[in-house]
Amino acid sequence: MSLVEAVPSRASSYWRLQRSELRLVLGRRRNLVLLVGLALVPLLLGLVLFFTQDTALSGQGPAFLSRVTGNGLFLVVASVFLCLPFLLPLTIGIASGDAIAGEAAAGTLRYLLTVPVGRSRLLLVKAVGALVFAAAAVASIAVVGLVAGAALFGVRDVTLLSGDTVPLAAGALRVLAVVVYVGLSLTGLVAVGLFFSTLTEVPVGAMAATVVVAIVSGVLDTIPSLHAIQPGLLTHHWLDFAEFLRLEPSWSVIGGGLAVQAAWVAIFGALAWSRFTTADVTS
Amino acid sequence: MSMSPRARWAVPAVVGAIVAAAFVAPPLMASASSDDLPDVTPEQLVTDVAKAPDQPLSGTVVYTARLGLPSLPLGDVAGASPVNLLDGSSTLRVWSDGDDRSRASLLGPTSEYSVVRDGSQAWTYSSTDDQVVHYSIPASDQARYESMQAQPQVAGDLPTPAAAARSVLNLVEQYSSVTLDAATTVAGRSAYDLVVTPKDSDTLVGHVVVSIDAKTDTPLRVQVWSTKDTKAPSMEVGFTDVTFAKPSDAVLSFTAPAGVDTKDVVVPLPAATDEPSTALPEGVTVSGTGWETVVQASGVNVAGLLAGSTDALSTVPGSKPMIGSKSGQKLLDEFGADGSDKARELDLPTLYQTLTTAVPEGRLVQTTLGSVLVTTDGRVLVGAVPGSTLQADAR
Repeated sequence: MSLVEAVPSRASSYWRLQRSELRLVLGRRRNLVLLVGLALVPLLLGLVLFFTQDTALSGQGPAFLSRVTGNGLFLVVASVFLCLPFLLPLTIGIASGDAIAGEAAAGTLRYLLTVPVGRSRLLLVKAVGALVFAAAAVASIAVVGLVAGAALFGVRDVTLLSGDTVPLAAGALRVLAVVVYVGLSLTGLVAVGLFFSTLTEVPVGAMAATVVVAIVSGVLDTIPSLHAIQPGLLTHHWLDFAEFLRLEPSWSVIGGGLAVQAAWVAIFGALAWSRFTTADVTS
Repeated sequence: MSMSPRARWAVPAVVGAIVAAAFVAPPLMASASSDDLPDVTPEQLVTDVAKAPDQPLSGTVVYTARLGLPSLPLGDVAGASPVNLLDGSSTLRVWSDGDDRSRASLLGPTSEYSVVRDGSQAWTYSSTDDQVVHYSIPASDQARYESMQAQPQVAGDLPTPAAAARSVLNLVEQYSSVTLDAATTVAGRSAYDLVVTPKDSDTLVGHVVVSIDAKTDTPLRVQVWSTKDTKAPSMEVGFTDVTFAKPSDAVLSFTAPAGVDTKDVVVPLPAATDEPSTALPEGVTVSGTGWETVVQASGVNVAGLLAGSTDALSTVPGSKPMIGSKSGQKLLDEFGADGSDKARELDLPTLYQTLTTAVPEGRLVQTTLGSVLVTTDGRVLVGAVPGSTLQADAR
């Protein structure tokens, strides 16, 4: 290791590795299919709502759905809301669970370790790759949602959950804040997936375990007798994105949600680091 | 980079400890002691609260009801609605200018139900239904409003610590004994704990604890303890954070959003302007006094109300009976005075069947704080008393 540290161009080799990792993550066909699949959600949702808006079925369904036909901006919020319980965790699970275990399964991890970049930095490269993919997943829903919503229903001043109306610019900013909050809400799950990915050489196992963590967390959140631990659960604050659509968003609620994600990132990031820097890599 | 594997595995443990400390420490520090409050007698405190001007404030209120009702088939599916207040915990945001403008919002995970009062007008808005109800007083009453400052009654109103404290302290003088408990901290502020114990023996209310902010004499929390449950308050409404400052104008006004159906309700002001109205609406009788008060309304078309008929609403005497028990009034509100679309969506007949039990006199709701008896001949009896008392009254 000390030999690796001594190579003078380690910063440049880090950036070279990071660039190639990002190219790999965003260029891999499976990942592109995932992004396209997520992008289809707002498109299909928008089309369904467009063709049923004058029928008896309009104005029904989960929160935010009934607002879409009145304002295309809400297609972004409704799509994110619908993808949050399962599709986004699934995407995150696939991307982060594959990060290390995928290389191990393909037998390429030991070649990666010969690159003059320490294991800590290699883990960082993988973490950044998974985080960028998570951001791309949320962004693809948001961008397609915005375009489809604007084309099908138009955008106008935003009616908040409190019934008050804010101008379009302020409303668009709030919707952007919703998207950013949802993206940041997924960072904890990325860290969990990365940790699982360092434990195994079977990528499917790490992916499934990550998705299971998100689902179990969601189930625990509905059991009333567990209310003492619920504020610390990974998924407990996910729906707090709605705070940005209230009259006066409470920064303590938003900050609390982000703090919980930061805690999960810190703990599982540290676990992943300990595991990855001490593990024997055999394949 | 020459740490031993053992040292490397110590890192997550240290990180975990730091994270745990960061989440546990702030609440411990916030609950600092507040023993050095000026001495005050309970009687003096009650007078102070009555005299204290309402403060402009904004904050978060948590309302919890443990009324011992059968679990309701509602969940979060229905979105934020006053029906949520029947059981479990609800979070509200409140804003008030300390005068006649205020807003209270009941928060659901992705929904909101708001009650906005702006002088002689009031609005309710439900984000789930996307429906506005606009309450106003008739034009002929506008001049009288200026002198009276009586605000229109809103169906499906939301609880605040101040309102809960007012209804309790009204009963203090004749019917209760008042003591002062050790000082406490509510929403990070030092507060006196006023304990109000009913002198009556037949009421279900064991005692009421009103926590009063030491600086502003504003009620910060009200806990109503039942005689049936001594482990936890049956009803609790209190601030979890509060700021004493005038809210912005945007919060205290309301404009119905474009393209939303608005229902207009005109509420005439009470007739008597010079003296408090003691006359009861027709069909309403009151028996008992203080905490044992039982209100009886006759000729109520319960079956019609359950079918969601607005005509049946007119059979509810006064549409808004005066009732001694706050929880009893709330129950009646949910069944009677709200014939809105929301109520119908909740499948009222099923709700009614779930909540009530059959008794010889009709159907009975028993909570830890009060009872409601709906008799087969169309009378509704409400009181903060056991169901057996209502049954005896009904015979």
